[in-house]
Amino acid sequence: MPMGDQAPADNQPLKRIRIWYALVVLVVAVFGVRLFYLEIIRYDYYHKAALASQLKQYQIPATRGLIEAHDGDSVVPVVLNQTLYTLFADPKYVKDSYVLAQAVQKIIGGSATDYEQAIKQPTRYAVLAHKLTPAQKQQVDNLHLAGLGTQAVSYRTYPQSQLASQLLGFVNDEGDGEYGIEQALQPLLKGTPGQLKAVTDVNGIPLAATKNNIEIAPKAGDNIVLTINLSMQAQMENILTQEYQKTKSKGLSAIIIDPNNGQIKAMANYPTYDPSQYSKVSDQSLFQDGAVSNAIEPGSSMKLLTTAASLDQGTITPTTSFYDPAHWEVDGFNITDIEEDGGPRDQTIASTLNLSLNTGATWMLMQMGNGQINTKARNAWYNYMVNHFLLGKDTGIEQGYEAEGYVPPPKDNGAGIDLTYANTSFGQAVTVTALQMASAVSSILNGGTYYQPTLVDQTIAPGGKTTTNQPKVLKQHVVSAQVGQEMIPLMEYVVQQHLLAGFNYLNFSPAYSVGGKTGTAQIANPSGGYYTDKYNGTYIGFVGGDKVQYVIVIFNMQPGVAGYAGSYGGQPVFADLAHMLIDSGYVSPKTN
Amino acid sequence: MTYSSSLAAGRQRFDQGDIRNNQSLAKPWGKNQNATSFAMPARTLGPISNTIILIILACLLGLLYLTQVTKTNAFGYKINALNQQQTQLQQQHAELEVASARLQALNRIQNSPVAKNLVSVAPSGTVQQ
Repeated sequence: MPMGDQAPADNQPLKRIRIWYALVVLVVAVFGVRLFYLEIIRYDYYHKAALASQLKQYQIPATRGLIEAHDGDSVVPVVLNQTLYTLFADPKYVKDSYVLAQAVQKIIGGSATDYEQAIKQPTRYAVLAHKLTPAQKQQVDNLHLAGLGTQAVSYRTYPQSQLASQLLGFVNDEGDGEYGIEQALQPLLKGTPGQLKAVTDVNGIPLAATKNNIEIAPKAGDNIVLTINLSMQAQMENILTQEYQKTKSKGLSAIIIDPNNGQIKAMANYPTYDPSQYSKVSDQSLFQDGAVSNAIEPGSSMKLLTTAASLDQGTITPTTSFYDPAHWEVDGFNITDIEEDGGPRDQTIASTLNLSLNTGATWMLMQMGNGQINTKARNAWYNYMVNHFLLGKDTGIEQGYEAEGYVPPPKDNGAGIDLTYANTSFGQAVTVTALQMASAVSSILNGGTYYQPTLVDQTIAPGGKTTTNQPKVLKQHVVSAQVGQEMIPLMEYVVQQHLLAGFNYLNFSPAYSVGGKTGTAQIANPSGGYYTDKYNGTYIGFVGGDKVQYVIVIFNMQPGVAGYAGSYGGQPVFADLAHMLIDSGYVSPKTN
Repeated sequence: MTYSSSLAAGRQRFDQGDIRNNQSLAKPWGKNQNATSFAMPARTLGPISNTIILIILACLLGLLYLTQVTKTNAFGYKINALNQQQTQLQQQHAELEVASARLQALNRIQNSPVAKNLVSVAPSGTVQQ
């Protein structure tokens, strides 16, 4: 057989192989081209699409800082975080709403009908209940019912119940602090949320082997240790509750402050509210810490500042006596005293404070202007009120909504500025908060240093680093140290004279130094002038031994008792608090 | 080229080499020997084999990569389980803190049977002689 005849038959297998090879190459090439198109040219599109379904991004909430307070030698929490659970249903997956509602009702109580109705709502997230305990949550999980789920939510919890609620404030549903210290120290308490960005499996569990994973741990908020003495606070609140009822008050505020460093030891208002039930409070004014946010005309307790300013300027001395005509005519209006003060006669600085003479305070103001109320007197008094006692501006305490109060400017406005200033000398036409008065009087009694009032003793960072809050001086030389020493016996005199006048509850052991001053303030009528039948009662006093250890300020709003609001609405509350401080051993007695 | 023709060509190459070698030294098998070369030709892989081997290698590499990735990803589950455990423990710790704080609350202590049974240390009378 010739070779040429055999060639076509012999080439057949090779040809087939080559065809198959070509086909394989073609298919591989098609795959290659397609893959090139998908993976190289359309890379961005598919990369994004893949990440959209695989890459999950979560914000990891930061744990909010705790708030603690002193209780004797220890520090105990007053605000903690607690994880509770929201029970929800996804109606799309609920097979039998009746069965589900019955099962839920058995665990958490409530109305099965309401649950069933909620499930039938056209939503994918029907909230059935809030604040389930971990035990209830476990019971719900054990039901293994399709469409029923729980979601963990962190809540603030208050082991001391309502104690110091207005001072503390609360945290709203968005996790932001409102009112009180929660609002004022929100950035410190809230912390910084973390971030988790990871490629996850179908169950949302992050896969470890991806370079796109980002995990930034949350930074918990700082813990705060308050200057508050818990036991003192609790006793103060009990006293306020009782006095609120006894004096038929419309509202009571009280502060106990350490004048030697500005630390608030107790601060409360009544009525108050339960911060764990803040959403049920209808009267939003209850959220306010009235001692800080409520500026009123303080009445005659202001005479302490007038006296201190006059002593500091040297226009009077503690033993100065003067003739009191029992009335002064200023800008066509008569400034008078109450009838019990006895008409025109010689008076002293001590009797001015004891009898609470408006004419005496006006006389002291006149001495600042060389015997009359004039520009010099107004400027001098304004300077003391604003630049020495720091009235008319907030103190910077760690509280939400602090009021600044109001001090009328001394410039002649053609509307009876002299009368206005005469009024300010005995606490009218000027508004202040209880805290401003506590800080101002503290600065006088400690010898002239105005400490910024504070509620924060320490901050504790998440790592445990503790920073102790040092007293911050806002103003030195408010008055001279000598004036501070002169004011103490003047205030003690007032208490002693009131005891002699029959206020037996002012009977304190001679081992302690107790002084004070009442204030009965007329209340401005929004439509002009003052109410003739409404008064606020205030009291500013101190308790100490060798030195003043606590300054106490009481604001009693419109007490419904007979007699002067200061003497019968403010003074008894002060006395209760002063006795409490002494009886509880908070005050060191005199050493000799 | 068929098998016979290639054999002939091989033999021819062998003979030529033999002639060249016998120019100086005659070999005993130079004559009358129908010598055939049994030397194995060098084996080379064809393109298909190469492709298949490459594909298998690529698959092996891919498999190796996948096993490693899966192994690493398995740590994700372990980490997740540990994280959950940590969270649970933290929650338990927080719950215990809350319970402890509630037990120490002033109201609770004040209303406790122990506190209610306390008596005042203030003297209730004086000794008469």
